[in-house]
Amino acid sequence: MDWEEFSKELLEEGKRKGFSECETYFQRKKNFEVLILEGEISHYENSITQGVCFRGIREGKTGYAYCEKISDDAVAFVVEQAKDNAEIGEENTAEALFEGAKEYPSLLGIEENLRNLSEEEKISAAKQMEQAALSLGEYSVAIDYCVLEYHEVLTKIFNTKGLAASYEKNNAIAYVSAIAQQGKEIKTGSEYWMGSNWEEFNPAQIGRKAAENAISHLGATGLPSGEYPVILQNSVMAGLLSAFCSGFFGESVEKGFSMLKGKLHEKIASEKVSIRDDGLLPYHLGSSPFDSEGVPCQNKAVVSKGRLETFLYNQKAAKMAGVTSTGNGFKSSLQAPVQTACTNFYVVAGEKSLEELMEEMGNGILITEIAGLHSGTNDISGDFSLSAEGFVIKDGKKENPVEQITIAGNFYALLQEIEECGNDLRFMMPKAKGCMGAPSVFVRKVAISG
Amino acid sequence: MIKRSVAERIFEAALQEGADFAEIFLEDTKETTISMVNGKVEHALSGIRYGVGIRLFQGNRGIYAYTNDMEESNLIQIAKEAGRAAKGQGKHRVLNFDVKEIPTRNPILRMPNTVEHKEKVEQLRRGMEAAKAYDTKITQTKAGYLDVVQNVFIANTQGTWVTDERVRTRFTIEAVASSATEKQSGRFGPGGSVGFELFHQIDVEEYGKEAARIAVTMLGAGVCPSGKMPVVIDNGFGGVIFHEACGHGLEATAVARNASVFAGKLGKKIASDIVTAVDDGTIPNAWGSSAVDDEGTPTQKNILIENGILKSYLVDKLNGRKMGMASTGSARRQNYRYAPTSRMTNTYIASGKSTPQDIISNTEYGLYAKQMGGGSVDPATGIFNFAVLEGYMIRNGKIAEPVRGATLIGKGAEVLMRIDMVGNNISQAQGMCGSISGSIPTNVGQPMIRVGELTVGGRG
Repeated sequence: MDWEEFSKELLEEGKRKGFSECETYFQRKKNFEVLILEGEISHYENSITQGVCFRGIREGKTGYAYCEKISDDAVAFVVEQAKDNAEIGEENTAEALFEGAKEYPSLLGIEENLRNLSEEEKISAAKQMEQAALSLGEYSVAIDYCVLEYHEVLTKIFNTKGLAASYEKNNAIAYVSAIAQQGKEIKTGSEYWMGSNWEEFNPAQIGRKAAENAISHLGATGLPSGEYPVILQNSVMAGLLSAFCSGFFGESVEKGFSMLKGKLHEKIASEKVSIRDDGLLPYHLGSSPFDSEGVPCQNKAVVSKGRLETFLYNQKAAKMAGVTSTGNGFKSSLQAPVQTACTNFYVVAGEKSLEELMEEMGNGILITEIAGLHSGTNDISGDFSLSAEGFVIKDGKKENPVEQITIAGNFYALLQEIEECGNDLRFMMPKAKGCMGAPSVFVRKVAISG
Repeated sequence: MIKRSVAERIFEAALQEGADFAEIFLEDTKETTISMVNGKVEHALSGIRYGVGIRLFQGNRGIYAYTNDMEESNLIQIAKEAGRAAKGQGKHRVLNFDVKEIPTRNPILRMPNTVEHKEKVEQLRRGMEAAKAYDTKITQTKAGYLDVVQNVFIANTQGTWVTDERVRTRFTIEAVASSATEKQSGRFGPGGSVGFELFHQIDVEEYGKEAARIAVTMLGAGVCPSGKMPVVIDNGFGGVIFHEACGHGLEATAVARNASVFAGKLGKKIASDIVTAVDDGTIPNAWGSSAVDDEGTPTQKNILIENGILKSYLVDKLNGRKMGMASTGSARRQNYRYAPTSRMTNTYIASGKSTPQDIISNTEYGLYAKQMGGGSVDPATGIFNFAVLEGYMIRNGKIAEPVRGATLIGKGAEVLMRIDMVGNNISQAQGMCGSISGSIPTNVGQPMIRVGELTVGGRG
């Protein structure tokens, strides 16, 4: 029995066991990863994994079960588990299976150039990154991580309502974290590249930037506590988005876990702020023709010039709110249930460069790193208190680095206080809730403690 | 389990191109998770995880491959490809297998898969109802249930041939209190290497009430002042400070790469004299315990710091090679999709002499962190940060008003030296620890401790 046959048998067994509708979500993943340390491979990983997750509606309730093992008794076991799981569900909360779209957006799919790269080519690119990071002679630089990953995924969804959708995509992620040392002081800095357009990947540049980032923080001092004008660098703003994006989910609104409840079409941010969720951006990791429920992905405005335009919906949340799914029903893994996630979720870039933003600010702090997003944030209230690093800005110019400071505030208040967005939109490496991007943003007043 | 003859053929294929060590990790896991919101089942998930990881060493290099295509021909193909990536010189052979029966450290009274889902849901519901009933300000309650039965088989070319069954059960509860402008939450997550008997050992209603009490208290709290001050961190989950600030820096994962401030410090004083710290994977039925680690080495009790002196790191086989040290039974991984590396099990600061009352009354002014949230650390610099879930100011040697939004920031190495009081009320709490070999169950623990000076980030 292969996985396709296994999936078909699951659907048939599902019907026999009283499921009115059921669905199988199959995924096959091919991953490659190489870590380089001192010019040698320090870790190498290669894998092919596959499995299927069953979702069915039974007596108005939803049941899930997954399986990575094909065996004679697995079909019955999976459906039985799904039935048990459905039974403890609430009445009338069935997830809505999607019947399939007439047309799906045509995306690039597999990039053959990237797929055809040999292991040697990938390993050599990773070595180039490390070498470049180590080549900044005047400082003592060591490598913390230097990694190159390649991912290929095939997804197939079938259900009893007629959905039969499948797509393949591939991408690569390169990441370097460098350690710079001066006397007893140690600083880390990192840089990354990701995407499916291998042509635009410049390994030496990534390595060099990681080392430069680390070196630039050497000689850091503390800062007196107080309120400062602040520029949050693009990656920092994108980090905040990743912590608080669930406030934009229809699912959170329905459950009362969103401060944006009841604010649709109201002004929730400064006029300078527009936010989009675009699942169709070429070469981006958050792009795919359809979500984990088979609903086509879209490019949509979430916030336009400060006005909240839509929440992000999966099928179930859309049904509850009386709207249609926005194609944001995603599973965080094969085993996970369908929840909500962003595709490529980003603050739209403004006109000014980071340098121009610094000039506009005059005196203040440029925050370049934050840590503790998973602990120092309250994703419901929007409160955050995060350890941070950055630079003092004096008369519009970068001065000395600062460390061991905390920035604190509230995400929703921050959105209202953004004075300007830069033109340096950049996406972060993918997180559980999708791919986040932002330009650097200028805020007049942020509480910093040193 | 894999047949002996198949294991031998996989190893032969792996060693053909010159790898000097090979290991098979086979996993067959059944798990169930149930999450509830406001008394209703949100998600109930269960299923089978199944697959094999094949790991090779060539000198200090690790090669890892995994799959769940279990055809013998595929396994041998994968072993060969991995062997090619190892590209060694020498010819190595497989030692005779030493079939070991390691008795479980975690006897199970009631296997979770013999319990109906309805009974599991009932326990969660009771916890949530108690939280909801605590105060009208409680607007949301969340609860979770998890059980895992992980059967592993581990064999390697040094002769290891061992199986282990790991059974774990956990209950989580969160209460959210709201006012017109604010939301605050309190949460707990007790669990262990136990079966469904967990629910006879803990009182879910008591946990529900406590979570609600924290949420309501914090809702009414003012913002925490920021600055440097003495900080008293209470027992149990307060041990996350040691876990984040020091434990990660003692993992060979960081030490072998010289990416830890504690590298090269064995036998040296790294903490104040009153600090003794332990990582013990053998505590019966504890959340982070197992009979063998994920390389098949029996777990052990490791004294990490004794009276301020660094005694041991946490070492796995591969990093042990780089460091010239033997494994301390500390290799762990989330599942077969991860190569194992050195990780913590049940880690705690040992009990000291002060009573909690002594510590508070000896503190003129400072922050009392009663419940800690999560945190993270950069192992290279030791800079950590973590959130205080339930905090109070200490004024004139007494616990004063509650404060919200506090974050503790510092450098692990400095904080260890600044611990100036250690209490006698040790307890442990459960967490999930994320690192390069995935998310694994670990206990953190400590008695109440006082750090003479720590940076507190707040909004005040």
